Amino acid sequence: MTVGRRISELVMGLIPILLLLALWQSLTSFNVAPPSLLPPPGAVFARVFQLLGDPAFLGHAATTLYRLFWGFGLAVIVGVALGIAAAGSPVIGALLRPVIRILAPLPKIALYPAFILTLGFDHSSKIALVFADALFPILLATYQGAISVEPKLVWSARAMGVSRLKTLFTVVLTAALPSILTGCRISLVISCIVVFLSEMISSTEGLGHLLVRAARNFQTVDMFVPIIAISALGLILNAGFNALRAWLLRGFPEEN
Amino acid sequence: MKNLTAIPGVPPLIACFALLLAWEIGARLIGLESLPTAWETLRDLPTILTDKQSLYDILSSVRRMAVGFALAFLFAVPIGLMMGRSKTVAAFFNPLFMMIYPVPKAALMPIIMLWLGIGEASKTLVIFLGVSLPLIYHTYQGARAVGEKLLWSGAAMGMTARERLFRIVLPAALPEIMVGCRTGLVLALITMVTSEMIVRQAGIGNLLFNSLDLAQYNTVYATIVIVGALGFVLDLVFEWLRGIVVGWADPVHEIAVGSA
Repeated sequence: MTVGRRISELVMGLIPILLLLALWQSLTSFNVAPPSLLPPPGAVFARVFQLLGDPAFLGHAATTLYRLFWGFGLAVIVGVALGIAAAGSPVIGALLRPVIRILAPLPKIALYPAFILTLGFDHSSKIALVFADALFPILLATYQGAISVEPKLVWSARAMGVSRLKTLFTVVLTAALPSILTGCRISLVISCIVVFLSEMISSTEGLGHLLVRAARNFQTVDMFVPIIAISALGLILNAGFNALRAWLLRGFPEEN
Repeated sequence: MKNLTAIPGVPPLIACFALLLAWEIGARLIGLESLPTAWETLRDLPTILTDKQSLYDILSSVRRMAVGFALAFLFAVPIGLMMGRSKTVAAFFNPLFMMIYPVPKAALMPIIMLWLGIGEASKTLVIFLGVSLPLIYHTYQGARAVGEKLLWSGAAMGMTARERLFRIVLPAALPEIMVGCRTGLVLALITMVTSEMIVRQAGIGNLLFNSLDLAQYNTVYATIVIVGALGFVLDLVFEWLRGIVVGWADPVHEIAVGSA
């Protein structure tokens, strides 16, 4: 793709975003929507930057991130382990597949009341929900990546006297890495969304709680800030993960 | 045993039974008051399903879901097709959708309620928003992958651009669109339950948290089972529908995963 084409595509892509902002601005400046219902974009973004220096706000964001990374981290460990095990052993695979078939399409958010009842209102119920939601994309991607590993690679390793278990870790896991990382990226954004929602439903801290608190007090500007914050967080984490992925996969043949 | 597990539907059934058994044993071992056993929960199911108010809650939730999904389908498929066929349109919309993608749609509920009130409109709109993006994405992918040669042949035979869109692009993209529909359906259910949990006003999500507040633990778990069963049945019905509509395409054994 030439540079000129790249730039023109970038400009094209900016148009709808700018149009949306312009529409928002004009709705407020021509008094179509009262500021109590739709605050002007300038006020919202000014508030975002103001809160970025506020320790209380940063504390809430830190709580959200803490829950997010615990849930996501556990999901990566368990998901990759189960996925590799299911692909490596036909017995485990046959046992796991029907269970996944039932649990994967289940709306995990419905389990949230059960997590609250058994784990309490604190961090652990949110972490459990993030884990449940993040697990299946990683598990499925790992499994699919691991079963489609070129069999010749495994045979060669086995022929060279590498044990079955060691082959699983050195050959299968590495060869399935691109697929695993794709699953992780999907799960990361899901985790971001789910942690926010869980905090909205029942929490006393975190970004999601800030939104609910603002809604109860009818502070419209403050309602927009947490949503912008969590979306920006999702975009930043996604970009960061892409960079990590590119670094981990250096030397792998380019895909997609 | 071998030929029994070969029947499709039997392994999931066994797995379902095993999960319930694990729950039963686990609940007995832990012995928490807030964790009833599977049997106690299932015994509560008929009471909920015959209660007029809860049945009304569940049915109105399902109706909203259907309306939101249908509207999203009508909106997303044309946009996805256009994005797939024109690079300009794709460049126009892609960054916008990328930016909207990590926004938790159900979290918009309080703001939307501020604008549209607490009626049906806001609840349906949230479901619509939740379903639209994956549908657009899959339709886009499907339309983009249509073989150029098919289109050239069509053009050479004198088909107009409009005819090519409906006679070639749409059918060729249909399997991928159906994959999007499946993800969208799961997402519709998730968005619906989540937004109802956030707003606590009507529907299944409300039923869940009302019984939580009243400490009717059996009802909480029974409602969870109902939501899970709803997801499973929707998935089965959709698979059946998919077999009829795009039975000619390679079956996609992909399990839909998504989140609001």
